Amino acid sequence: MTCGIVYDPSYLAHEQSQSHPERRERLSYTMDQLEEEGIFDLPQIRLIAPKPAMRDDVLLVHTEEYLKFLEDASVTGGIIDADTYIPKNLIQDALLAAGGAITGADAVLNQDVTNCFVLSRPPGHHAGISQGAGFCYLNNVAIMVRHLQSRGLRRIMILDWDAHHGNGTEEIFYDDPSVLVCSVHQYPFYPGSGRFEDIGTGDGKGYNINLPIPAGSSDKVYQYLLEEIIIPLADEYMPDAIAISAGQDNHYTDPLTGLALTAQGYSGMMKEMCILADSICYGRIIAVLEGGYSVEGGLPYTNLGLIAAMAGLDISSIREPEIYQDLLKKAVSEDAFPKVIKMVSGLKRILADHWYFIRRYESR
Amino acid sequence: MFAGIDIGDTNTDIAIIDSQINTYKVPNADGLDNALSMISPGGRLAISTSQPLNEIITGRSVDIRTICIPGPGLVYPGTVKGAVSHRGDIVEPIDPEEIKRIMKGQHAGAVAIAGKFSVRNDALEKQVYEIVSQFYSDEQIAISSPIGSLNFPARIHTTRLNARVKGKVNTLIKKISKVNPDFYFVTSTGGLSSPARALDNPMLLYHSSPATVANGAYYLSRIDNCLIVDIGGTTTELVPLKNGKPVYETVIIDGLKTLVKAVSATGIPFGGDSCIRTDICPFRAGSSRAFGGGEPTLTDALNVIGARIGDFERSEVLDKNMAEEAVEKYLDTVVTEIRRYQPGVLIGTGYLAHYLLSDIAERAKTTGIVPEHAASANAVGAAVSKISLEVHIHVDTERRRMTLNGTPYPYKDAKDEDDLIAYATELVRDIAKNEGAPEEDIEDIRVLYYSSFDVVRGWRITAKITDMILAVAPGISVEAL
Repeated sequence: MTCGIVYDPSYLAHEQSQSHPERRERLSYTMDQLEEEGIFDLPQIRLIAPKPAMRDDVLLVHTEEYLKFLEDASVTGGIIDADTYIPKNLIQDALLAAGGAITGADAVLNQDVTNCFVLSRPPGHHAGISQGAGFCYLNNVAIMVRHLQSRGLRRIMILDWDAHHGNGTEEIFYDDPSVLVCSVHQYPFYPGSGRFEDIGTGDGKGYNINLPIPAGSSDKVYQYLLEEIIIPLADEYMPDAIAISAGQDNHYTDPLTGLALTAQGYSGMMKEMCILADSICYGRIIAVLEGGYSVEGGLPYTNLGLIAAMAGLDISSIREPEIYQDLLKKAVSEDAFPKVIKMVSGLKRILADHWYFIRRYESR
Repeated sequence: MFAGIDIGDTNTDIAIIDSQINTYKVPNADGLDNALSMISPGGRLAISTSQPLNEIITGRSVDIRTICIPGPGLVYPGTVKGAVSHRGDIVEPIDPEEIKRIMKGQHAGAVAIAGKFSVRNDALEKQVYEIVSQFYSDEQIAISSPIGSLNFPARIHTTRLNARVKGKVNTLIKKISKVNPDFYFVTSTGGLSSPARALDNPMLLYHSSPATVANGAYYLSRIDNCLIVDIGGTTTELVPLKNGKPVYETVIIDGLKTLVKAVSATGIPFGGDSCIRTDICPFRAGSSRAFGGGEPTLTDALNVIGARIGDFERSEVLDKNMAEEAVEKYLDTVVTEIRRYQPGVLIGTGYLAHYLLSDIAERAKTTGIVPEHAASANAVGAAVSKISLEVHIHVDTERRRMTLNGTPYPYKDAKDEDDLIAYATELVRDIAKNEGAPEEDIEDIRVLYYSSFDVVRGWRITAKITDMILAVAPGISVEAL
């Protein structure tokens, strides 16, 4: 397997304000870790430089009016919500992030690499058709998905495992059966949406899957969701490619969220996704960085773990340093798992009409 | 007085520069002591030892035990407990008993100790070193932190190579110090290093010959853009110069990347001592007949067709046709390689330059120049080199930590970027000065890399982390100009 890493030092450039949590420090330690591990010298890894997205790429997802607003505000500076400002020159950084996702997807589709991890900033999954939110401006993954479809791919699955609900992505594809959106997120939590009852509308009904999980959910919960829902869903949907909104704020050291996934958990989850993708869509996975604010104890280890899994490297030593063990004990909640089982059975009831794998298991 | 010695694969070249340049060539067979005795003590001596070290590095490998302290991340062989984080914090301790267990009954010839992120905190490597040194002597143990830069796999590889050659470098230092205590080694980039620094990272000395040739050819010719054709005993090296400087490249050994940068050169396996059997052979089988050897060589072939090198009558066992063919093949091979560079000017160095360069230049359709003392340009290059340094610096204002090539230095609060660079520059200047660099050579300290970011905790900037690389560039000492 060859894993492409889309990265450019300009991904460090974007700053909303000097002390905003979505900051360049997020990637600095990760890049240190990758450099120290000699990742870029490995034959299984290819570093790919992002190309900025074109206006036309963006307009496949967002409205002309919204794009114009971002362009204008990038000259004067502006504000979207309480924690999403528009610093000057934003649009260049946002276009390079969206363009990075497209560059990665093209590399996969052209068979330059098997899969790709786009280490871009700013993130995108809260950005809807005509508005940004939650540190996001352009929906990088959605723009990339539409680009892939414009190149002839029919069905694409988006797995959004960021701790926050990918409400922007949900909105964009809510009525579209050609894109299966599956979001695992802490609930109740920002942005408030993401109930499992929201399964899409019109033709898209049944193609929007929300997996809300309580704070304290650990590796076990994610493993359960993979086996019970995500993998069978993908097997039945047979996508031409899988896009992952790879938020890494579900790590147990994340200061902004309450989930309890470990670096080994992330790496294992990505390994499962790679095996899945191998069996249904020629291994095509394009993962795009979303959130993740545990810059020291989380991101360097989770990002490395994801890349190691995508490149087929040995992931047995992917873990956090021992000093974080106490935090893990505090973060994991034993109450979470039963709640998730209950949520899943509720979800299955609603989705049974749409998905055969649910009916098949229930008839046994 | 500046003196330079280059131990090549056949001869040792010596250059002594004061009011004028004097060069000598002695066969390696006479021993290093003989060469050293020709230099009167008192001046500065720079010695390029790449040949004896290359033999060890590229020769049959010795058993090296590697002790890796990787902590979390990818999998490495020879792993022991302990971890340093990307910030340089010790996040997991080592287990001394584990190290002792490994050392008991250890038969390896040397030990390489490498810890992930040790260039940001060398404490764990030092702790392991302390234990290992109860079993091995210092010259058999290499640690990775003095190498300075990130890239753990490449650092492990470089440390293993360091462990392999450290004993030899140590022996050389002792031997040379006896005759001339004030001496330097020429590094692979053509800068000089103190013996102490070379002992910490002996791979600095790898393949220094092209670097000395580059410095020497430039010093003798003062031509900024050219291709140097260095015709030695065993090989011919092509070394391009751009704006008076050689080109650098990362050294790969045994198929693995090292953290050594060396002067880029194309080696052609033919030189004056290449023996001629049915054809010219890409190896050496003793000296040329003209210098007392048994088999005819390229040098002998040149004698047969009219040159008068050494005891030229002894060359005449070689048939004239064969001699012509051998020279023809040599010229052809070299010119083919030269064409790739499309050079404007060729500078010939090495002891056969006088005899071969005009033919080479004619065939390559370019100009050829053989400067005075070209035969020992390598030794001249060693003599006129200046002390050079490349220092990787990591500064963390929260931890109040500053490391230079893995070694902790006193931390000082800096007002701003310029202030920090000024402080770091001062530290680097002091290192160079302590090694004996003259003021003029360390005026220009360059920032090769600078990257800095804020540490933000809870919507507040709490610290600043900076990485930079400062360098005293290699080149020719102002004092020699």
